[in-house]
Amino acid sequence: MAINFNPAINSVSPVPIGGPQAAPQPEGKTNFLKIAGDSLKKVDDKQHDANSSIVDLLAGKNDDINSVVASVAKADMSFKLLVGVRNKLVEAYKETMKMQI
Amino acid sequence: MEIKSGMFDAIDIAVSGLRAHGKHMEVISSNVANARTTNVDNTGRPYRRLDVEFKSIDDGIGEVQIGDIFEDTSPFEKIPASPGDPRADADGNITMPNVSMPAELINLNLASRAYQANAAMLRRYQKMVETSLELIK
Repeated sequence: MAINFNPAINSVSPVPIGGPQAAPQPEGKTNFLKIAGDSLKKVDDKQHDANSSIVDLLAGKNDDINSVVASVAKADMSFKLLVGVRNKLVEAYKETMKMQI
Repeated sequence: MEIKSGMFDAIDIAVSGLRAHGKHMEVISSNVANARTTNVDNTGRPYRRLDVEFKSIDDGIGEVQIGDIFEDTSPFEKIPASPGDPRADADGNITMPNVSMPAELINLNLASRAYQANAAMLRRYQKMVETSLELIK
């Protein structure tokens, strides 16, 4: 029994391992870790703001409940965004790991 | 008009509304509490009703502020005094504040509805952002 390969298979040439990916990063490009770290820090700052405004309110240093509402709402929203992005990243990582090689 | 985009602008605007209408409520509360005050700061003058002016910080989209709190200059009400009342003038009348209770209660309703409306804006905006975040799940 003769097996006929698709003739197009011959045109596929092997890509050298670590080829284009291993090229040194060009100047002026921010790397992913830095972006992730920066945005994580922003969310963390918002959480700290919200926390300290609640503490100030309870301690009687600040009696403006509206600013507390604002900072808590902002912290809550940015934290939800962070969790959403994080879940998406973990999902993408898992998908990549499941890939058949 | 300059349009800046920020995730938190709607929150800041809604909170400014809460703050401004809360202050309006404070002014109404002062009017109601002093509706029968006939001696302001030992001057013998009756209390004058206060009103507020709302203003926006810049034209276009923006937060609201209390611009000014001013006195209502409408005439005082005069009621007949009972004999021997030290507050009575030469004609036997007492000058009462120009606060009208029904009008204040209507203003109170307006202020509290406006406060609720701003709180509803805040809550609904948070829900809207959550809906957007559902999309990246």
